[in-house]
Amino acid sequence: MRRRYHPAAAVLAGLWVFAAMAQDNIEVEYLPGDDSDRVPLHTVVPLYPEKARRVRLEGEVEVCFKVNREGRTSRVAVRRSTNRVIEKPARDAVRASTYQPWPNDQELSGIKTCRTFRFHLTPVAIDKPGG
Amino acid sequence: MNTTTTRRLWRTVVACACLAFSVTWSQESKTVLGPTNADLHAGAEALMSGDAEEGVQKTLRGLDYATSNRERVAGLSNLCAGYIMLGEPENGLPYCNQALELNDRNWRALSNRALAYVKLGRFEEAEPDLQKAEEIAPKAKTVKVVRSMLLDATNPVAPLVIIDDRRQGAEDDET
Repeated sequence: MRRRYHPAAAVLAGLWVFAAMAQDNIEVEYLPGDDSDRVPLHTVVPLYPEKARRVRLEGEVEVCFKVNREGRTSRVAVRRSTNRVIEKPARDAVRASTYQPWPNDQELSGIKTCRTFRFHLTPVAIDKPGG
Repeated sequence: MNTTTTRRLWRTVVACACLAFSVTWSQESKTVLGPTNADLHAGAEALMSGDAEEGVQKTLRGLDYATSNRERVAGLSNLCAGYIMLGEPENGLPYCNQALELNDRNWRALSNRALAYVKLGRFEEAEPDLQKAEEIAPKAKTVKVVRSMLLDATNPVAPLVIIDDRRQGAEDDET
């Protein structure tokens, strides 16, 4: 049995993403899934590791996990990644994120899903006074 | 990079540079009775604890009676670091130059001079020193931090994280 899609939940998830962006000075892009079984409620943005930023390292991590009836994540594991240094922030972000709880009449006990984090560094224009 | 982060980074750089002397001194102290140059040692300690003024004074005093080339290079490099800590990279630069005249492969002095150049906005001059320091000590955190500061000054970047929730092959676990 499939859950109904709640557009409001997606908006909420988006708000959380942008709240984190303001807090950590990280630009965030969110690409929502088209799956109605997993509606993000609180999406935590991973911190860009200082070590990676320092050496201008970019990369991608795919984290797979289970979402229980209450919307909490468990069994968080990295499925693939391009660099170990970005794995922990991605795992931590998934652990701290939540999904919309399921209605009691729902028969699903849990969903296994995956989320991909892409860590990029975008050039910033330098403003040279008088230049 | 914000001011606090920058301050923390260059303090790390300077502290690591100072540590160099302490290690040098402690290695030498295994073979002699007492410190060979108490002022240089105290100067390094003061710099490591963040007291740049005291560190510079003691290092200057210690350099007056430095006996070995190694002591002189470490002292001059620390003095250079001390002036950078004081926010006077232009005064530190000549000491880095002197250290490198005595030993042009001292990676700490190279790293400190690169940092002085970065602080002075002379980025092109920082590059060869940094390259050489990276060649000599590829794993040194100090050098990596200076590289990062140079990159931040010449090629600043902003972190962007893309969170992609589109279906990527995981299956539902229905019961």
